[in-house]
Amino acid sequence: MSEKEVRLQVRNISKTFGITKALKDVSFDLYKGEIHALIGENGSGKSTLTNMLTGIYSMETGKFILDGEEVHPKDQVDANDHGISIIVQEQGTLDGLTVAENIFLGHEQRFIKGIIRNTGAMNKAANDLLKKYGFERIKANRMVDDYNFEDRKLVEIVKATYFEPKVVVVDETTTALSQEGREELYKHMRRIRDYGGTVIFISHDLDEVLNMSDTITILRDGDYIDTVDAKDVTSDDLKRLMVGREVTGNYYRSDYGEKVSDEVVLSAKNVSVPGLIDDINLDLHKGEILGIGGLSESGMHEVGKALFGASYDRTGEVVLGDGTHINDIPTAIRHSIAYTSKDRDNESVVMNQSIGDNITLPSLGKLTAFGPFISDRKKNAFANKYAKEISVKMVNINQFVSKLSGGNKQKVVLARWIGADSDILILDSPTRGIDIKVKQDIYQLMDSMRKQGKSVLMISEELMELIGMCDNILIMKDGKINGEVKRDPSVTENDLIAKMV
Amino acid sequence: MDTNVAVAGKKKQTNGYVKGYAILIALVIASWAVFKIITPHNFGSPSQMLSYFQASLMASIGAIGFYFVMVMGMFDFSIGANIMLSAIVGCKLAVTFGWGYAGIIIGSIVCGAIVGLLNGIFYVKLHIPSMIVTTGLALIYEALASYIAGGVEQTLPSNLRIFGKLQGAIPLAIVAFIVAYVFLNYTKIGTYTYAIGSNEGVTKNMGINVNKYKVLAFIISGAFFGIEAILTISYGSSMVAQTGMASMSRNFIPTMGCFFGLAFKKYGMPLPAIIIGEFVINIIFYGFIALGAPTAIQDLITGLALLIIITLTTKVRKGEIVK
Repeated sequence: MSEKEVRLQVRNISKTFGITKALKDVSFDLYKGEIHALIGENGSGKSTLTNMLTGIYSMETGKFILDGEEVHPKDQVDANDHGISIIVQEQGTLDGLTVAENIFLGHEQRFIKGIIRNTGAMNKAANDLLKKYGFERIKANRMVDDYNFEDRKLVEIVKATYFEPKVVVVDETTTALSQEGREELYKHMRRIRDYGGTVIFISHDLDEVLNMSDTITILRDGDYIDTVDAKDVTSDDLKRLMVGREVTGNYYRSDYGEKVSDEVVLSAKNVSVPGLIDDINLDLHKGEILGIGGLSESGMHEVGKALFGASYDRTGEVVLGDGTHINDIPTAIRHSIAYTSKDRDNESVVMNQSIGDNITLPSLGKLTAFGPFISDRKKNAFANKYAKEISVKMVNINQFVSKLSGGNKQKVVLARWIGADSDILILDSPTRGIDIKVKQDIYQLMDSMRKQGKSVLMISEELMELIGMCDNILIMKDGKINGEVKRDPSVTENDLIAKMV
Repeated sequence: MDTNVAVAGKKKQTNGYVKGYAILIALVIASWAVFKIITPHNFGSPSQMLSYFQASLMASIGAIGFYFVMVMGMFDFSIGANIMLSAIVGCKLAVTFGWGYAGIIIGSIVCGAIVGLLNGIFYVKLHIPSMIVTTGLALIYEALASYIAGGVEQTLPSNLRIFGKLQGAIPLAIVAFIVAYVFLNYTKIGTYTYAIGSNEGVTKNMGINVNKYKVLAFIISGAFFGIEAILTISYGSSMVAQTGMASMSRNFIPTMGCFFGLAFKKYGMPLPAIIIGEFVINIIFYGFIALGAPTAIQDLITGLALLIIITLTTKVRKGEIVK
């Protein structure tokens, strides 16, 4: 590896958003035939950098030099033309278009004669590609809407890589994928490396980063920190580089063998939701952290909704310790149940409202001055108290939630339910797309809530956090509970995976 | 290459293709049967059905063009004003300037397209919701039409009214349908129309000039309303320039047809759905006329019937938010 050839030079890149300096004079090199991870906490500038490289954001100062030539992509298609592409975290395919139209969006010119597009030729080209990638079951002429999230991600992989690009950015894509989808993505990342391409890999999962990448560059608060060889570092080294100090204190819970209370606070009896979950029975005890794991499509995310009274056509019973039946959301909230969705942006926060509004939303009834009139003073005091308690990074509570990073949004959601003094928390993927420091905060918070006698049901695709945090883990498969794993220091990821697949 | 294109076009339709047609044909039969049973003697004979279909063709053509605008999530309140203005301009060119058929055809279509262009430009440049922009512009188009007409009813002489007859209207409609179909399925415009309707931000990031395609959609829509104007004035023989938003009443039928198109998009057959949908709407209209029901009752039942039809055909996914 001594004669590595430089592929991309990042030179003195800076970018500001209003008063925030997202990137400060960042410079480093990427080489041909490597998987180069870019890591850092939320807001460290990783996505800002790659979004500039791929033409999603405009350039400010500095330059990208690709194979010796300066590039300034003005949009994604222009970036593609330079040999740069990106696979994003959220859905990147468009409804209402066929698979082929999605793959060639912006590049349809090669199929056009005059103004008429040869759809047959385009579909054929797309089918050939899908076949080459081993995704034959996806058909070019079908509407992309006919496929699920995972398959649509596969379409994106084809779209971003079929032209053998020089640089492919994989931006936190893996958090949205099941294990199977990840393996597929890894395979193509390695393929790109093998033909001499460069993969820029952004991920919060440090084990994944260490497994997959050759080189790792660390950013912190917009500053370039270091570039290291993956084989020379451990995940603790990376944590230290990312946070800028030793990550001290407990990450996960450290206790074992504590007895969980016998008092059942919520129980599900024969709960089913057509097509999603089937005959779920579980008991959540006082002071317990109960985990639910499984593959993304196992139905586990629906369990949270079903318990919160948010599922459609649910059958079976959800009963609280006092005998109250939970059949709708208002009843759930009145009886001190909190729920945070996996789909944070659409189902948990109100994006175009302030932090204060988001925190006080379920507690407004308690914040009145007289009659139905809300007291501004009480409302602001309430929002401030809980935003500070959970240390949301913000200018003030009037700031819009849409301006916050993923981790901070999640903190706002948690502040809301802590403020509402919920006794039962149903947390679906609470640390999804969140960096380790905020993760640690969230774990600590869960632990302290547990100690206060509150009960937590954590649904998660991250096996390590289930093992690290839960008293008891239920594993789901095909809509049913397929096994149970008790808290024990000897539990490994493989124990869970065995029950998942 | 041609066979390739044809095969691909057919395949693009999703699995619900047959189902979509089945629902629409069932709607035609049901609406026909209801009125045929109530008033068997003066409704629904084959020749009457043909004339209902002819009347529905006018709005179908406008709706087909309007579909491009609606898919992108925009709206147009100047439909009636456009039809009125384009018909009057076409008629003036054909009669006063003596251009004959060339005047009515070119005049109406070009005028419609210009109205579309203005709608598009004002919408894109002013950054105001399309509903508001087109409402404001409708008033202006009405005033312009009234000025051009000089307060006189514009009549198209009988020797220029071939498009008012079935043998003239059908070929024109077929041409319009093919043009729209090709635009939608075999050009970039169609793909980008759906892409913008699906997610404007992502589309923009693909290097696609979203504003340009929005303006284009308005131009296509406007030109198709120009064709509707030709059929309207040919069928009715004259056009009066109304003012004070009176032209708005003409918005309703093309818009309803367009809703059919959106509702059946998922079956991969939006354009046929518009044509059959307009036909259903007209069957209901003429059914009420045959019944001799008072206008208020007609409107009441038509409104309800349309809401029911759209509700039954647009199955919203559970939890989906509709605004």
